[in-house]
Amino acid sequence: MTIRTVVNGRPVTEPIPVRWTLAEFVRDRLGLTGTKLSCGMQVCGVCTVLVDGRPVSACSYLAVDVDGCEVTTIEGLADAGSLHPIQAAFVDHFALQCGFCTPGFIMMAKSLLDENPRPTRKDVVDYLDGNICRCTGYQPIIDAIVDASERMTP
Amino acid sequence: MSVLPPFELHRPTSIEEVVELISWDDLPYVGGTELLLAMRAGLLNPRSLIDLKGVAEITGVRAHNGAVRIGAAVTHQQAATTEVISEKLPELPPVLLHVGNPRVRWSGTLAGNLCFAEPKSDVIPFLIALDATVTLVSADGSREMSVREFIIGPYFTARTEHELLAWIDIPVVPGRRGTYLKYQVMERPTVGVAAVRLDEGDSTITRVVVGAAGEVPVVHDVDHAHPDRSAVATAVVDALEPIDDLTGSSDYKRHVTAVYVERALEKLERM
Ligand SMILES: Cc1cc2nc3c(=O)[nH]c(=O)nc-3n(C[C@@H](O)[C@@H](O)[C@H](O)COP(=O)(O)OP(=O)(O)OC[C@H]3O[C@@H](n4cnc5c(N)ncnc54)[C@H](O)[C@@H]3O)c2cc1C
Ligand code: FES
Ligand code: FES
Repeated sequence: MTIRTVVNGRPVTEPIPVRWTLAEFVRDRLGLTGTKLSCGMQVCGVCTVLVDGRPVSACSYLAVDVDGCEVTTIEGLADAGSLHPIQAAFVDHFALQCGFCTPGFIMMAKSLLDENPRPTRKDVVDYLDGNICRCTGYQPIIDAIVDASERMTP
Repeated sequence: MSVLPPFELHRPTSIEEVVELISWDDLPYVGGTELLLAMRAGLLNPRSLIDLKGVAEITGVRAHNGAVRIGAAVTHQQAATTEVISEKLPELPPVLLHVGNPRVRWSGTLAGNLCFAEPKSDVIPFLIALDATVTLVSADGSREMSVREFIIGPYFTARTEHELLAWIDIPVVPGRRGTYLKYQVMERPTVGVAAVRLDEGDSTITRVVVGAAGEVPVVHDVDHAHPDRSAVATAVVDALEPIDDLTGSSDYKRHVTAVYVERALEKLERM
């Protein structure tokens, strides 16, 4: 089936197998490998991308369901080489170690801040309930997101 | 190599078209949050999937005949942030906003939750407590039944092969108070307790519905506005048939259930 979508601002029309997940489409067809895969069951969040601004688990979402929608992956955040404020805050707060979970956390943070530009620490913790990090102990991630919110909405 | 088995896709735009297609081999979906995982695990291998998101008749939430009608394509997030619901059923959004995680809430629906009939559902006990009904539509007509009758057992509902769950009606009852408390350390709750108080004629009923701890929800009605909390907890635990699983042993679940029933009733007293 042929799907028409806009990925990171670029119109894409591609014939794809109906059974493909969104992760297979962005990683294997479009080469956007910033979107990671781990649990494959909506639990860990490393595969998070935005579809019309809503967060979805690309591991468990049909690619055909983005037909007619806009998709944003981690590659779509930096603007002409300069980091998005959330990315910059992650660097400044050492909010990553191995970095495998980072694209997912950043996409979730983007979705949270779009919805709620000045979240409390508790709002951040609640929103990230479905994201797992095995390295950082989470505190630097929360610090980075709270800081990013302050940078973006002074 | 793909993670999902092959299937065909249908994108109907009316209930009429859906009920022509639907069968145990041709499965409707909205979020696919349960379905795709079951397919990936090899538990379901449908010939086709029927995308319900283009069926306008089941996409919205509206007031209807003293109830709030939630279409089958409405997601948890959409329902939780719809004005009709915040206005008429303010007890519902807090429950929906604690289903899974934001990604599951943005894609998953209340109808999909009921149809899958996962025993560790938050939606099922709460909708039973609110006396919600479902409307099932097939090519032969439609029927309405309570959620309590609809949920027969674990992963087992009263829906027959060619029926679509079209919408859920939740009655709006003036003066009704309701709350839901759950204990959860993993993706799914160990126990969820709904407690509701409502006037029926001259008397006041307090209803407790317990989900997740057992295979089927336990419903317990007491003809009193302020029942003895520990007596209710004991009666509910006696009726519970918990099994040992990753969320706890059966003894542990009995204990946590008693504690949460008392807490939910205490919270209800303050409402
Ligand atoms: C990580 C994770 C965490 C979760 N946490 C929770 C939680 O805390 N609490 C909770 O209650 N739930 C939880 N869930 C369950 C969540 O998937 C459901 O609540 C969800 O809303 C199901 O909706 P869906 O549209 O995705 O269903 P789908 O997966 O699309 O469908 C489920 C099943 O129902 C059938 N079906 C769907 N709609 C209809 C219809 N209208 N008529 C007939 N048949 C239909 C499908 O064919 C399929 O067999 C969790 C799920 C995941 C993956
Ligand atoms: S890989 Fe998608 S949620 Fe874990
Ligand atoms: S930085 Fe390694 S998993 Fe999060």
